[in-house]
Amino acid sequence: MAGLHSRDSEPWRVGVLFSRSGCTAVIEETQLRATLLALAEINDSGGINDREIVPVIYDPMSDPATFACHAKRLMVEDSITAIFGCYTSSSRKAVIPVVERLNGLLWYPTPYEGFEFSPNVIYTGPAPNQNSVALCRFLMERYGRRFYLIGSDYVYPRESNRIMRELVRNNGGEVCGETYLSLRAQHRDFVPVLGELKRLRPDVIFSTVVGDSTSSLYQSYIDAGLEPKVMPIGSLTTTEAEVRAMGADAAEGHVTAASYFQSVCTEQNSFFVARYKKRYGEDEPTNMCAEAAYFQVHIFAKALAQTDSLDTDTLRPVVLGTEFDAPQGKVCVNETYAHTDLWTRIGRVDSRGGFEIIEESCAQVNADPYLIGSGRALACS
Amino acid sequence: MTSAERSLRAEFAKLDALVAVPRDDDGEFLVRELQRARARVRHVWPLPDRLPEDTDIIFCALEPGLPERIPWVPGEPKAALTVVVAPGAAPDLGLLVNSAPDAVLHRPITSNGVLVSLALARSHFTYDRRLRWRINKLDESLRGMRAVERAKEILMRTRQMCEEEAYRFIRGQAMRRRAPISVVAAAIVDSHDILS
Repeated sequence: MAGLHSRDSEPWRVGVLFSRSGCTAVIEETQLRATLLALAEINDSGGINDREIVPVIYDPMSDPATFACHAKRLMVEDSITAIFGCYTSSSRKAVIPVVERLNGLLWYPTPYEGFEFSPNVIYTGPAPNQNSVALCRFLMERYGRRFYLIGSDYVYPRESNRIMRELVRNNGGEVCGETYLSLRAQHRDFVPVLGELKRLRPDVIFSTVVGDSTSSLYQSYIDAGLEPKVMPIGSLTTTEAEVRAMGADAAEGHVTAASYFQSVCTEQNSFFVARYKKRYGEDEPTNMCAEAAYFQVHIFAKALAQTDSLDTDTLRPVVLGTEFDAPQGKVCVNETYAHTDLWTRIGRVDSRGGFEIIEESCAQVNADPYLIGSGRALACS
Repeated sequence: MTSAERSLRAEFAKLDALVAVPRDDDGEFLVRELQRARARVRHVWPLPDRLPEDTDIIFCALEPGLPERIPWVPGEPKAALTVVVAPGAAPDLGLLVNSAPDAVLHRPITSNGVLVSLALARSHFTYDRRLRWRINKLDESLRGMRAVERAKEILMRTRQMCEEEAYRFIRGQAMRRRAPISVVAAAIVDSHDILS
């Protein structure tokens, strides 16, 4: 610890942009917490090269334009180059022009729709080949070939559903309906959708509903008397955090594909979950977005220790290729696209609101954001 | 000094600068100011037919024929370019645009002018380079996707495979050869084009 608080060791400063208010605050708050937990761990063990890492945190309020403003403020007024943040794709797309023009480095810890590359972004959440492909195969094998697609009305759900539609059709399935609701949709907005679902009787509901309206979807489903055993909701974004918000009874039996669940059995994960709960409370679950937010800070720190510089052109090449023992297992920032090679898992919500892991990949799945090698077939090996 | 400024100053200290302006007081002043910013400076004059490209930034007099002396094609710059404009006569705007500079430095040259044009030229040049890199990556991805689709069609047609078998075949080959799937796909397309 010597030197950490000495006057001549100015701290490293980094930016943090996760919403604490607005329609995606529930999940973004967990990403913020996991980011702060990782920073605390690093600082408790002496910082990086005897310098503490200090976060500058703003609340972008789940609004893309505010994300862009705060990204600019971090880079211009606070002279910060490394930013951890963004949940929705709309917020990421709002921040990218800023970090590209001013040469910052955005660390993005959320599953997204793929088909993107930026020299100024490190992607640590799964691309579609690391979650959608396995989810589609699982749902088709277990439940059937007729899919109904439902999503929030913005870029991520529309693009993810386009990919899911292709996967379903190319593998002999059928999409019998597709609908989009506002990110601010309430319980009553889902009622007509549930009516349609009862009429169409698909085998599977694939949902890319995100944020607070996730609760409304799952609760309306229960109210409509539908049965998860025969017509489950399959999702890429319903995590322990959303399940906690809606109540385990509303979510039980539904399925999510993710690289991480709190129930993953690794030593790193026991450590992560214990530290997280100690800091934020016993009933606060971890989740895939929080886990990515957590390990990306550690990867950043590992690279910073080597470069001793926050300059993007110096730091980024060192980040690429970095391996890390994350709670989900060993991960690696892939050099081709600066996306991360991650694990693929399928989980089903149990009666306590946790996920029972039903399937998992035997190793990390290489990130393939343009679906060049994992395009359309469902074969995973 | 902000950390953004510190990092720019640190960048200046790593730069190789080429100065191609007359060896008069102004020219000597420019060389000294760049050296004061801790850049390594080479001074050439008269203007060579082809400016050297093994440098990070070029300060060059805006002279007739400048575009022909620049050693790269427009849009693919190898170094940042600042043109040095003389006072008096109206500048040749066509010449200016065709030289595609990242910044302009006006004579008589001042300390501030040198720093401003140095910072601006480097920032503009590196941004431009990042965007070109991103575009190349996108192009490469599109070509890769196209190659895989074509290779798959070929396998389906010539080997009576179904789509999924064709896919698995290409992926399997790529894994065995530890090569990117797009490279294997392109090889299949090429060999088919040669054989047929």
